Amino acid sequence: MTSLRKSGLILFAIVPLLLTAGCWDSSEVNDLALELAWGIDAAKDQGVMVSAQVIVPFRIGSAQGSAGGGGGGSQEKPYFVVAGIGKDTLDAVQQMQTKLSRQMFRAHRRVIVIGEALARRGLKEVLDTYSRDPTLKLRSDVFIMKGGTANEFLKVAYPLEDIPGLAALKEYNQIGALKEMGLINLMISATSDGNCPALPVIAIGFESDKQEEDQDGSARMKGFRINGTSIFDNDLKLLGYIDTREGRLLRWVKGELGKLIVTADIPQDKGRISFDMNKLNSKVQPIFQGDNIKFHVTLSGQGMIRENNSNLDLTQTHNLAFIKELLEKQVEASVQQTIRKVQREFGSDVFEFGETIHRKHHSRWNSLKDDWNQEFRKAEVTVKANLSIRRIGVTGPSLHLKEDSIQK
Amino acid sequence: MKIPMRYKSNHKGVPRTNPAAPDRSDQAREVDVALSRNERMLKQIFSNSSDILFRSVTISGQTRLLLVYVDGLVNADMLDQVVLQPMMFEGLPGDAENGGSGSIGDLLIKRLVAVAQVKPAQQIGDIVESVLKGDLAMLIDGETQALLVGLQGYEKRAIEEPSAELSVRGPRDGFTEALRTNTSLIRRRIRSEKLKMESLTLGQYSKTEIVIAYLEGIASESVLKEVRQRLHRIEIDGVLESGYIEEFIEDVPWSPFPQIQNTERPDVVCSSLLEGKIAIFVDNTPFVLIAPMTFWAGLQAVEDYYERFIYTSFIRLIRFALLNISLLLPSLFVSLTTFHQQLVPTNLLISVAAAREGVPLPTVIETLLMEFMFEGLREAGIRLPKPIGSAVSIVGALVIGQAAVQAGIVSASVVIIVATTGIASFAIPRYNLGTAFRLLRFPMLILAGTLGLYGVIAGIFLIVIHLLGLRSFGIPYMTPISPQFPENIKDVWIRAPRWSMHQRPVLSTGSNKHRVPEGQQPGPKRGEKNE
Repeated sequence: MTSLRKSGLILFAIVPLLLTAGCWDSSEVNDLALELAWGIDAAKDQGVMVSAQVIVPFRIGSAQGSAGGGGGGSQEKPYFVVAGIGKDTLDAVQQMQTKLSRQMFRAHRRVIVIGEALARRGLKEVLDTYSRDPTLKLRSDVFIMKGGTANEFLKVAYPLEDIPGLAALKEYNQIGALKEMGLINLMISATSDGNCPALPVIAIGFESDKQEEDQDGSARMKGFRINGTSIFDNDLKLLGYIDTREGRLLRWVKGELGKLIVTADIPQDKGRISFDMNKLNSKVQPIFQGDNIKFHVTLSGQGMIRENNSNLDLTQTHNLAFIKELLEKQVEASVQQTIRKVQREFGSDVFEFGETIHRKHHSRWNSLKDDWNQEFRKAEVTVKANLSIRRIGVTGPSLHLKEDSIQK
Repeated sequence: MKIPMRYKSNHKGVPRTNPAAPDRSDQAREVDVALSRNERMLKQIFSNSSDILFRSVTISGQTRLLLVYVDGLVNADMLDQVVLQPMMFEGLPGDAENGGSGSIGDLLIKRLVAVAQVKPAQQIGDIVESVLKGDLAMLIDGETQALLVGLQGYEKRAIEEPSAELSVRGPRDGFTEALRTNTSLIRRRIRSEKLKMESLTLGQYSKTEIVIAYLEGIASESVLKEVRQRLHRIEIDGVLESGYIEEFIEDVPWSPFPQIQNTERPDVVCSSLLEGKIAIFVDNTPFVLIAPMTFWAGLQAVEDYYERFIYTSFIRLIRFALLNISLLLPSLFVSLTTFHQQLVPTNLLISVAAAREGVPLPTVIETLLMEFMFEGLREAGIRLPKPIGSAVSIVGALVIGQAAVQAGIVSASVVIIVATTGIASFAIPRYNLGTAFRLLRFPMLILAGTLGLYGVIAGIFLIVIHLLGLRSFGIPYMTPISPQFPENIKDVWIRAPRWSMHQRPVLSTGSNKHRVPEGQQPGPKRGEKNE
């Protein structure tokens, strides 16, 4: 009898559970509008325009299912872009939802693109919802759209990927970026006193700006490219850009670069040599000299010579030492130049120098932090590169060279 | 560690005597001196039984005998050659005619009936029982004792390879329907006087012989006592299969998990006996019960112990993975795609969404329907005659696998999930444990469809709690994981090499726990010179 009563009690406890929770929270995947890329742009009256690249699943499915047989008919894109305008993001989303037959599903968002106009206006007023909403991923990567709106970017097709938003992500990974967590890093650097955010920049078209734009008026633009890094100030306002090469070096100084190829000219026009590095490290040491702050940046890298257009025989150690010195000088000069450019043009500490002082000299940082941007502009930076050539490839001198022209 | 044995009484109240029990008033009577009276009585008892034969014989022209036997149960050749021919042609040995000492019955036993099993009987009831078992009853005029001659010779199946438990390596003989054949298969493997076989008869009408086999000193006394008690409590009209008994003696009849193992293989029975378990043989079925059963025993295949241990361990790990898949895959799929889409990798979600485009039913219903159809297919495949069985599988594969997907009624991903689950559920070596998981899959699916992952987790908790509380003949079902016996875990997740498994399973054994002495790992010995 007791067991009967017990099982009755258990049933009594479970049945309300079935009624109260669940069921109506469920939604079938074909009732969701999956959105993988998201754009934010400035709108009138301090408003926001949001755009979403929404996936059309059955087009992706049919493209895979009837591969080869799909020659006939127009090749429709497996995505489309909807936009909404509002006072803030959620207001805009509400407007956007009126154009969608399915519930917006944002948890799979991978890419957030911010239009240049909004970036110049400042990101502070639009960022809150991305960290407040539990359904959103903090790991979405953030890109700045150079010379256009995010909405334009989302409309551009990309030849290799079904969903072009993801292509931006993959392109960026190809440049060797490490530790990229987009939104969360943006939040971290926004809250810190010392450093300023630097976000990757994306631009439409494979070739340089505005070359293939408007050929016959329609949107014939295909593809996009990573085009440098944007520099922000402490108020999350866009100040300007540095190019891709400088952007890589910036990441190296921050210790967030996975691979890099450095090319050096050999003096007296004896050709060029390329060094492919894959183990990159950096160390920043602040040095205090009275009121002056000096930073000593030590960069290290290991790699392999993959191209040698000179007549040097690389099996000779003195040649290697020569090349090594050449490469180091090259790296030192270009990093120095990049840092100086940022110091002079933007005065915004995207190298996390301030954070280094914060970590290592906590007491001094308290007096420095209020006026850090000025201090950063003034700071003297020395760069030292320690490169080590681990491999030279399968030949010493180039194979096509005659024996007597090889410099031993 | 001392684990208190807990036995649940599995009989409620005192069993009442069955009012339909056969009337035995006649059979308590003793054998009469007058043969004609005995004959009349037996003919009355065996009235309307065309298969029971009465044969009158006169030896040496003076002694009348009556032979009673069941046609088909007695070996007719033996009856002719060993009993009838000597008696009819040779007659009684000489000294009997001279009125020598002793009765004719004794004489027959000693001199004339050249059969190993002969015993005297005084009760009519005993005679009836023996005749029904297949013995030949020999009633002698003028004597109050009859002879029961063991001439059993009925048709039986030859020893064949067991069809329910196959293995690539290992002995190929399987049990048959004949009890004595089965026990002999065990004796042949364990030639020890410690192997005991206790007999009892169950079933008021079927009078089925049951044998409890165990290894004295290895089997735990308390478990053995419990097995005996539970068997003796059974009152039933007939026992046609060991399943009849299983249902009477299991600890928790309402549990979906089997608490008694069954097998068709003598080697499995022997290894279980060596582990201290107890085997219950039932006449007329090739399935032998093994108790107590643990959850892990259900995941051990015979071949695990014949193949090399590295491969076996790998297979076991795969088996555990498949076990989880067979229980959880459909419910995880349903809960992830209808409640927690953010947990599914993006590309997978897009594929699932693409496959679901235009499918009319909600995912839960769709999955339930497909699981239902799969069970139907499986059942049809088993029950149908073999030639039609293949037709069913073709129809199933074509109709469900392809046409339904192409018609857009069912999404391809659900078909894949259901098929994977089906395959996984067949990878569980013990059929009856596999059915438990196959059954539990349905409530899990409903939980997943209503509560999402929360429901799945709740379901897993309920199952685990139930498993931890379950006992088989007082042995916790999850031994040796819970309660934990580190020495025995060697044979759970993996199968350790035989030379490293030094102990028998702790709980099911009595005092004799040691199995393999240490230091037998092969390899070059230290200090020995290898020439």
